[in-house]
Amino acid sequence: MESLQKFAIPATPANYAIWYEYHARQSPNLERTIDVLISNGASFDESTLQDLYSTFFSSAKEAQAVRETSVLALNTLQEIVGVADFASDDAHQFGATLRGIASRNLGESLGNLKSLIESLVDESKNMAGRTDYVGLRMRESAGKIEALEHNLEEAIRDATLDGLTGVANRKSFDSIIRKTAAEAMNTGEDLALLMIDIDHFKRVNDTWGHQTGDTVLRHLAKTVQKAVRGGDHVARYGGEEFAVILPRTDADAAVNVAQNIRQALAREPLLLDLNPPMTPITVSIGAASYEPGYPLTEWVGRTDAALYHAKKEGRNRVELDRNWN
Amino acid sequence: MSSSIGTGISESANANTIVKSCLVTDDSATVRRVARKLLTSLGFEVDEAENGQIALEKCLLRMPDVVLLDWNMPVMNGLEFLKALRHTEGGRAPAVVFCTTETDVDHIQRAMACGANEYLMKPFDRESLIMKLEMVACL
Repeated sequence: MESLQKFAIPATPANYAIWYEYHARQSPNLERTIDVLISNGASFDESTLQDLYSTFFSSAKEAQAVRETSVLALNTLQEIVGVADFASDDAHQFGATLRGIASRNLGESLGNLKSLIESLVDESKNMAGRTDYVGLRMRESAGKIEALEHNLEEAIRDATLDGLTGVANRKSFDSIIRKTAAEAMNTGEDLALLMIDIDHFKRVNDTWGHQTGDTVLRHLAKTVQKAVRGGDHVARYGGEEFAVILPRTDADAAVNVAQNIRQALAREPLLLDLNPPMTPITVSIGAASYEPGYPLTEWVGRTDAALYHAKKEGRNRVELDRNWN
Repeated sequence: MSSSIGTGISESANANTIVKSCLVTDDSATVRRVARKLLTSLGFEVDEAENGQIALEKCLLRMPDVVLLDWNMPVMNGLEFLKALRHTEGGRAPAVVFCTTETDVDHIQRAMACGANEYLMKPFDRESLIMKLEMVACL
């Protein structure tokens, strides 16, 4: 239970089973895999826990999948079962009719043969009509399953985004920065980071209230997202501080992106009817390049130091980390 | 110095005075450069290989004390190299530390099941590398 708390893992029966097994030292492979995750500082998120469970409790894997699917799509399944019952009744009836037709004594009369063919066509049409209905219901059910899937995707997306501004949240930033740095280390390509802080944000909140403060945060997030490229990652780092991860970008190009953000904010200021009127919002931005082999915390620290420098130099400006560049 | 090669790790009573060797196996020149710099500063003798096949050839000539091993490489990937190494005479001796961007349970589990001693997730730095080398008793 302590481990569950320590790694902020939900105390579900499956997770309890994983950690019981881990502490009971029953499965060396499970133990080593969890040790690797812990020693690399990896997070025990839902998908990792699910993978652990399905990998090491494989006998339960199928049953769990079936159970989960059943719970999720219970109503839909019931509907399908209803439709299927209906279909099999019809099929049954169709079969019976066919059997009836087949048992008729045809003799050698052409009329009998003609009536037999007509009966067959009628019954087939009848059945085909009902089959269409079944198909329609099946398609409806499939649509409902798709909607369920869509809801799940939305829930996953919500968990990675900042509720107020719609950009990536801090948790998601931590995983993106790790992934992009690993990629930069592998490819040898440049990677830069911007830290953006709203100037005198406390004054905004104190003078016009938190709702206006929220509007300012949303406006900045939108402006930053418009000013960066598709492959760049915008995140709310915390409070009024935003971060932008810029793959394949050297220090000079990162400064250009930062200047673009600053200028875009000046070009399209937030227009609010406020008393007293609000002076246009400005930002200070720090920029730094990633150095493979150095800790990510050190990189974020250098970017933050550059941001601090920009603040000290009078705000509404961009400063590049001076320790490396 | 050559007496330390291929003799494993545990038997060296005066481990501090013996230079340990590390074979950095990665198709990324940046990773090899960074790893070489860090390992050299830690007192390792460093050799490099761009893929599993070259690494295996180097191991057959001279077993290193530790192999830092990438997963995805052309010609022969890390897992294939590891399996081949462990079936080679003297190939059980080197400590193998996987060093990869693959972070999921399946990859970790497969690596450990195939005889990896440790698993280091990229991006690595001096501190995380030291921790893994200590775990396989190479520091």
